[in-house]
Formats: sequence, structure tokens, C-alpha cells
Amino acid sequence: MLTAVSPQAAAAGLFLGQGLTDARALRPDLVLAEAEPEADARALEALADWCVRFSPAVAPDPPDGLFLDIGGVSHLWGGEAEMAADLAARLARDGLTARIAVADTAGAAWALARSPAAEGRPRILAPGKTEAQPLAPELASLSTAALRLEPVAVERLARLGLRRIGQLAGLPRGPLAKRFGVKVLLRLDQALGRAPEALAFRRPPTPWFSRLDLAEPVSAPEDLARLCRDATLRLCARLEASGRGARRFRLDFHRVDGAPVGLELGLSRPARDPDRIARLFLPRLESLDPGFGIEAVSLQAAETEVLAPGQSDLASLLEPVEGPEALAPLIDRLTARLGPRRVWRSRPLASHVPERSVRRAAALEAQAGPAGSWPAWRPRPLRLLPRPEVLEAVIALTPDEPPRQFRWRGRVHRIRLAEGPERIGAEWWRTGIEAVRTDQVRDYYRVEDQDGARLWVFRSGLHDHDRPVRWWLHGLFG
Amino acid sequence: MDGDRRNRLATLRTDIRRLERMAGPVRGRLSLGDPRLDSALPGGGLSLGQWHEIGGEGTEAETGAAPAAFAARLAAALLARPDQRGRSAVWILRRDDLFPPGLASLGLPAERLVGVCARDEAEALGVAEDALASPGVGVVLAEVGAVDLTAGRRLQLACEARGGTGLVILRRPFGGGGATAGGTAAATCWRVAPAASAPNLGGLGLGPPRWRLRLARSRGGRSGAWLVEAAGTADEGEADVAHPLRLVAELGDRDLAAPAAFSAAG
Repeated sequence: MLTAVSPQAAAAGLFLGQGLTDARALRPDLVLAEAEPEADARALEALADWCVRFSPAVAPDPPDGLFLDIGGVSHLWGGEAEMAADLAARLARDGLTARIAVADTAGAAWALARSPAAEGRPRILAPGKTEAQPLAPELASLSTAALRLEPVAVERLARLGLRRIGQLAGLPRGPLAKRFGVKVLLRLDQALGRAPEALAFRRPPTPWFSRLDLAEPVSAPEDLARLCRDATLRLCARLEASGRGARRFRLDFHRVDGAPVGLELGLSRPARDPDRIARLFLPRLESLDPGFGIEAVSLQAAETEVLAPGQSDLASLLEPVEGPEALAPLIDRLTARLGPRRVWRSRPLASHVPERSVRRAAALEAQAGPAGSWPAWRPRPLRLLPRPEVLEAVIALTPDEPPRQFRWRGRVHRIRLAEGPERIGAEWWRTGIEAVRTDQVRDYYRVEDQDGARLWVFRSGLHDHDRPVRWWLHGLFG
Repeated sequence: MDGDRRNRLATLRTDIRRLERMAGPVRGRLSLGDPRLDSALPGGGLSLGQWHEIGGEGTEAETGAAPAAFAARLAAALLARPDQRGRSAVWILRRDDLFPPGLASLGLPAERLVGVCARDEAEALGVAEDALASPGVGVVLAEVGAVDLTAGRRLQLACEARGGTGLVILRRPFGGGGATAGGTAAATCWRVAPAASAPNLGGLGLGPPRWRLRLARSRGGRSGAWLVEAAGTADEGEADVAHPLRLVAELGDRDLAAPAAFSAAG
């Protein structure tokens, strides 16, 4: 079966879905290539990644389409027509022919792009015309097949003489839904902007997007740093003009040969100071691979908030010296340098098991709820070994006396003082009570040896005649 | 005549102290809890706004438990001062085995502590410098293997920028080479080893931990060795965080590694 035909083949009478033997019979000199749907899908994904330089909100529309949300970004090209022309030119440079249409809704753009008139020049529907009443003539004249309906539904509509969108739009909605199904009505509403449509974008659309193109690709680190700074300056100027700051920034360098390479930055407090943001990106620029060169850089901001004016200018002079606000710049720097998992504050977690009683939170996370604390009457060591280490040659009286002597890491410790036992059992409320065994207990002892070193040891399991118990070291006190 | 001479002596002393210190202004002093301990330190207490070195011997060089406990006790006392309200402590680790409930029992609450795990020595020292020079940080505790002169001077400059205090805990958690001989830019150098403690007064359980503390080097002060007890920890049930230590005895012998051949005087 044919899945794609070239223009000359179409002129010769071949069409999609035609059987192979029929096609060969018509034109014996047909050149055939095997269809590879997975490769096509991968190529579409790669193209979607490449299109991020035009707008971060790109969604692939298999098998051969892309949606781009250009709501806040078309002004960077000076208008939608220029942007569409630029996109068409770049795609043509790569050898792809494309049909481009611009409209207010995804459904209307889809319909326009697949109409015959879209071949050649991009079709642009002026903003506001999609949802206008009465229906714009460009949309009304499109066939109902352009509404992304099932072929069965299209056929049923055709049988009743409804071939154009304009005819559908004029009908009363209730009977339409009852006759042809809710889906038809939904697609119509989506195309005309009356119902929302959710698309799986690569990145959420954002109006805070700045982009710089380069005439010649660059790859030197100083050039990347300069591009980063310029993009940041532009975006922060726009943020400042509207009185907002942002918490997340994403910097993308678009390579000549395909996908963008990017860096993400998360701040603990919204900011729009270009120096500070560029400085937080700079140390990580060395880890990027520019490939054959970078031809465009884009910066987008997310999680914007209203930020009072003047807060960024005087930030260095009037920094708060107390309270959690004061630590914010330091935490940002450390998080940007080391990663978010290496900077933390600890919070108590209600669990008896020692290794589960601490929860790590981001260093500037506001504390939800009252600040709990660990019970003060239970001694806990300063250092907790990630894995308890087994003790050898333990001498301890049964059944529950603390050890008198043991050997750890090759050194013998003779115990002169001991405290305990503190019994910590399995948390039966986590699993079913049937799964809990009564010998899953740890009896912890705090012991001090002849030199004064204090250790936290435990015996796992209960004494049983036929099964020897094992002793472990779990932590060290000061 | 006599008063005049005394005044001249006092001014000469301050001049000598200033020249000797070769460091910035001191932002106050932390009392160690006992006047006999404080008198060994220049100015009568642990100087804030500078950095101090705390090391261990023997197995403590790798586990770093006793030096860390001593440092945590000092940091808790420091953060309890009224002029440090709202500031936090930053603890820089190489090996991630710090257990916050243990710190809480030493008086250092978890909500005033930020933990950072560095990947290598150079990064740990860099982060320490950055943290010391930042506002909102009262004390920085860094676990590193060694601090050479250059790194030490940079730490000192960072301390002077904001008046933060640094406590460097010498620890080699992954093993490694021996101690580097040579000068150090720290204000004081301490060596901590655990010592046998006295049982609790009620006879139940362990009493507060005891350490053999040696002041190996102190700029402008004398050295000394003491047997001290940590005061104000959870063992005693009272939270007197402001006085970190209680003096048990002054030690004559400077060798910490020797086991206690003398009886611990009460």
C-alpha cells in the first residue's frame, strides 16, 4: 500500500492507499522506498526539538504535523507573517516542504494548514477572526474532513450534504450532537475556540521568552558567555518593564545540527537582576557541547511573580542580614553549583526507625506546620553510619545485657558503661500485620568503652537457641 | 607615676596584640563556660570573626566524632548568643553521615542548620569561603582533611568580610595521607579525644560526655590541656546552651593518646 506519493506520481494518477500491484501496473517505472513509520516518528520528534528555537511550546502531531504556540513570541520576528516566512525558509533550507497556517486555535490552524490553498505560502488568519461571528469565510469554506474527525463521521456528514465547516456551524448544537456524536461537536468547538484543547507541549508556553539569532555559528566559550548575558539582559528588561520577577530560567543554545542544549536554573526568590542570573549560569556553560556551532540562543522564564520595583537594584546594599531571606543568595549559588540534592535542611519525620526519622528538605522551603523535633529523651548519635557495621567476637550476657566487649574494625573495645536497651521494632503499620515477625527487632545500647569513646550498637533479633544473634554498630556519639 | 606606667603598659600591650594578631578586628568572644579555660585564650574567650581548627587523633582522624561533637557544642553556644539571632549554621561535609537528632541533643537545633555535601576538598574549602562571606550565616563548620596556609588566609579574609566564625574539623573520611606539618592560619588549634565519663548522678545511664581537650596553638595565647565535660546537653535534662563546657581537671601531660593513668577527679 502506498503511504506517500511525490507530486509527479500524483499527477500520474497514483494516490494514497493504493495497492502496490495496482500502482506498478499503472506505472511500471515506479521508484519505491520502504515505509519506516518509527523512523518517521523519530524524525518528527527531532523536528519538534529543533522548532524549540521558534517557540518553546511545540507539540508533535503524528504522523506529519507540528503545533507551535506562538502566542507571546511572534513579536520577536516582527509579526506572524515574518515568523511563518522564516520558518518556511529554514525548513526549505533543510529540504523539507511544509504547509504552514496560523490561527487562534489549534483546530483552525490544523484545518487551514491541510487545505489545498496552503501549499505555497503560509496562510494566516488574523487574530480574532477565528472566533468571529459570523464565521470567517476562510474557515467556512474548508471541508469537514479538516476538522480531525473520524472518516466514518465525515462520510455520514457527506451523505447528508454537509461538506463544509460553514454548514456545520450553522446547525443547532443539540440535534447535531445527538445525531453525529459529541465528538463532532467537540472538534467543531475546538476549532472555533469555544472549547479548550490540551496539547502535550515540549515546554509550557510562556510569554517570557527572548531569543537571539546569529549570522555565523559560534562555539567559543567566551561567545557563549556573551550570548548568555545578552539574552538575560533582554529578558530581564522586559520583566522589569512589567514589574515581575521569575524563579525558573531555562537557557537553550540551538545548535546548527539539531537539538538544543540547555541549562535550567531555579531560584529560591523571584529575581530579575541580569548580572546575578547570568553569573549563576556561567560556571555551567563549560559543560555544554556546542557541536558544530550555535546559531541561536533562547532564554525563557517561568513561575513569574510580581516583584516590587527597586528590590533588585538595592539588593546588594539593603540585603537583609537576618532571617531566612538572608540566606537566599548563598543557597542559590550553592544549589546552582552543586545541585539541589547536596544542599538541605533536615526536618523530623515521625518514625521510630533511626534511619527513617530524618527528612531532607530544600534549604529555603518554608516550614509547613509546627516545627516538630526529635524526642529529647532518646539519645541519638552524632554520626550515623549509612550501613550498620557488624561487630565480631561479641561477649554479652543473655538475654538482654549490653555487650561487655567486642571488636570493631579490628580494634577491641572493652565496655565500661552502658545504657539501654531501647527496642525498635518493625513498623507494623506500614505493612500488613501478618507480614511482621516478632524477631524483627533491634535492641539499641549506648555504650562507652575504656577510652571514653561512645558507640551506638544494636543486637538484631532475639536470642534463640539455634540461631545466633548478630551485633552491629550503627552510630558514634561525640 | 604608677598609674602612668600602668597606662603605658596597657597601651603597649594592646599595640603588641594588634601587631601580633595580623588579623582583622575580632567581633566578640565566646566564653567556653569556665574562667580557667577562658583565661588561656587571648581576650578571655574564643574569638568570633575568625576561624579555628579542631582535630582528632587516632581513629578520630577518620570518624571525626569527638571533634565534631566539640565543634557542634561550640556552634550551639555561639548561635544562642543574642547577636546571632536569625543566623544559621552551615555544615559542610565530605562524607554524608551527620545525624541531626544527635546534633539536636548537643544543643544545635535542626532548623538553624543547613547541610552541604561537597565533592572534594577544594570544593569544600570554596563553599566554606563562600558561606563565611555571606549574610545570614553565623558559623560555618567544614570537615576537610587539611587547610594549608593559602587556603587558611582566604578563610580568614572571608571571615573578616561579614564577621562569621569558622570551625574547621579535620577529618579524612576516606582515609589518606598523614597530617601536613607546617604553619596554619587558624586563630586557635584544638585537639579533641574522648575521655572516660562519670556515670550519671542518679546512677542510671551515661552522664555527659567528656573530652581530653588540648589547645595546641593559639595566636597570642598559651597552650594547655584540660579534661572537660560537655555541659547543657540533653543528658542533663537542662538546656543551658550558653555555657558549652565544664572543666573537670587541668591536665599536665600534653599527650592525648596516652590512656588516663590518673583518676578523674570529680
